[in-house]
Amino acid sequence: MFCLLLRHTRNSRQLLFKQVLKLPAYTVKNALHTTRFLRHGEYEWQDPKSPDEIVNITYVDKEGKRTKVQGKVGDNVLYLAHRHGVEMEGACEASLACTTCHVYVQHNYLEKLNEADEKEDDLLDMAPFLRENSRLGCQIVLEKSMEGMELVLPQATRNFYVDGHKPKPH
Amino acid sequence: MNQLPKCAWHAKGTGFRRTVSKMAGAQAQLLQSEQRQRRLDGQQQRDNSAAAATEAAAAAAAAETAAVCPHLSLEQEPAVARIHGTAEWQNALAYNEIPGPKPMPILGNTWRLMPIIGQYTISDVAKISSLLHDRYGRIVRFSGLIGRPDLLFIYDADEIEKCYRSEGPTPFRPSMPSLVKYKSVVRKDFFGELGGVVGVHGEPWRQFRSRVQKPVLQLSTIRRYLQPLELITEDFLARCEQLLDANEELPADFDNEIHKWSLECIGRVALDTRLGCLEHNLTPDSEPQQIIDAAKYALRNVATLELKAPYWRYFPTPLWTRYVKNMNFFVGVCMKYIQSATERLKTQDVSHRAGEPSLLEKVIMSEKDEKIATIMALDLILVGIDTISMAVCSILYQLATRPVEQQKVHEELKRLLPDANTPLTIPLLDQMHHLKAFIKEVFRMYSTVIGNGRTLQEDSVICGYQVPKGVQAVFPTIVTGNMEEYVTDAATFRPERWLKAHQGGTPGKLHPFASLPYGYGARMCLGRRFADLEMQILLAKLLRNYRLEYNHAPLDYAVTFMYAPDGPLRFKMTRI
Repeated sequence: MFCLLLRHTRNSRQLLFKQVLKLPAYTVKNALHTTRFLRHGEYEWQDPKSPDEIVNITYVDKEGKRTKVQGKVGDNVLYLAHRHGVEMEGACEASLACTTCHVYVQHNYLEKLNEADEKEDDLLDMAPFLRENSRLGCQIVLEKSMEGMELVLPQATRNFYVDGHKPKPH
Repeated sequence: MNQLPKCAWHAKGTGFRRTVSKMAGAQAQLLQSEQRQRRLDGQQQRDNSAAAATEAAAAAAAAETAAVCPHLSLEQEPAVARIHGTAEWQNALAYNEIPGPKPMPILGNTWRLMPIIGQYTISDVAKISSLLHDRYGRIVRFSGLIGRPDLLFIYDADEIEKCYRSEGPTPFRPSMPSLVKYKSVVRKDFFGELGGVVGVHGEPWRQFRSRVQKPVLQLSTIRRYLQPLELITEDFLARCEQLLDANEELPADFDNEIHKWSLECIGRVALDTRLGCLEHNLTPDSEPQQIIDAAKYALRNVATLELKAPYWRYFPTPLWTRYVKNMNFFVGVCMKYIQSATERLKTQDVSHRAGEPSLLEKVIMSEKDEKIATIMALDLILVGIDTISMAVCSILYQLATRPVEQQKVHEELKRLLPDANTPLTIPLLDQMHHLKAFIKEVFRMYSTVIGNGRTLQEDSVICGYQVPKGVQAVFPTIVTGNMEEYVTDAATFRPERWLKAHQGGTPGKLHPFASLPYGYGARMCLGRRFADLEMQILLAKLLRNYRLEYNHAPLDYAVTFMYAPDGPLRFKMTRI
């Protein structure tokens, strides 16, 4: 009886498979274009096309090591850091879900940045080692006025232990 | 040493929120900077104590320098977990000393029937969870579960914070075994290696999430949906008006209407289409009605499937067969609409494409693959309908039973939208502080999702105990959000606690990890921004123009699959 039941359900599932499930999986080829808005940091890998685009900034890591970087207008500070091997993590890939790209912005540059969105502010509340000049690196997009800006990385972004953790971009 | 950060929280006392001093007036600014100073002081203390503790740990584990980071050890796979060399681990108590109900006479088998944490749980879990805390303290071990790892309930916001922060690049969130089986066994032909985001872990999860999360969470995408979702909400409110009876009350099955609204919204977002669920007089064989029924079926039966009758794990029960059929229907619907979206993209002239592309267009264009879009849509639909609609039921019930708070939100809306017909904009929504605070407060006190969870991927020390990897840590946000320890005056419903000083906020403790309805980090709720947007639009439209009342016997909250008021939502809805 039990076996019959089993077989019965199995059969009906097979029937189902045939009718409903054999829809072909479509793949889109050609015809579509990928544009700039979907970049996952690819844009930051392009060199500036003209001198007016160049924005020089400096990253200072938690040991005080300074990395001078030539960026360009429109670069995202998180992805620019990845390009130049600066240890800024960005676990959620700039989707505003974590605080692993937390940076301190030099005070006189703070006002040149766009005001932090409420969502960014809410997240910053959760960042360890918060200061008045804290921002999320993934929300900073370079503009010409930010020339010469210094961004200092906090002692740690994951927990309160100053643990020698080497973040790796995901 | 686990006590240390906790003490720091106590010392801190007040003002956890980061405040924007730029916008504040002079007095508020003073208050705020003081508040922030206090906050920073508190954090300083915490940093110091944590740093001191780490120093001690580092000294003890002389050979090992970076011992406590699971993120690092994940990549290196050491033979023995590095944490075992630390003083923290060595001083911690053994795992089996964690308190908890040893056999399970009190709770019987119900616990065995609790396969997932967060999405669907049994009816009294909220209460049981709270009882467990009262009885055993801030960490409770639930062992002896048949065929599943131990559950570890953590009622300590600092430890929860630690777990979230050390979760590594691929956090493991246990959920929905039935969906996992459907994707990985029954429809392996379709899903293959692309499992989507729900119930998928490790590298496959990270890859899929990475492919879809930017468009889904990106604020530019969200903005694009404001107007379409506003339109749906207007249709919904018009329908509500027609449903009113002689007493201006909504029907007893009003939750079904909310359900249809959320289905219509998610269809618009995930499938780029109006499904038509809000139409009047739908015939039983019409597509919208079939979709409504299928969604309802999924909603009602997933819980049964996962909790009450898990026999499908061993052989296909009739219920399982119907579940599979139902899921196939959803896959079919998703594929149909996604194919037509692709067709539209192909035939459409690029120059005609005005403004920001839709979520679906972004995914199809960047991935050149309809399948990814289909699987993403399926995941969004499956987890996005009931969560949002149950949350809305709960929020509306709280609004209807709290006329004073409702009035405050109404006044804010009236100030921002002097003309009732003004279309909503993102800057307007950004200023609806009271409205958003109300939603946050409902989630704090009556969290729709009662908890979140992570399977530990590394041996860790939690609350001073050695916890082996593989254990499922449960973060009961509904309990921690109501603990006086983390939230000042926790038993009082006070949305102002979420506001900043210059917005009329009241100072007080509010631990940032105590109430986390959407989770945190790389595995935070993928649909969060859409959920927030949908709820904000609905409340803004509703409360600007209507007064909501509830004149019947108070409803109890219960967990069916979500924590929400259990009973007919016969709201009285009057135009203001």
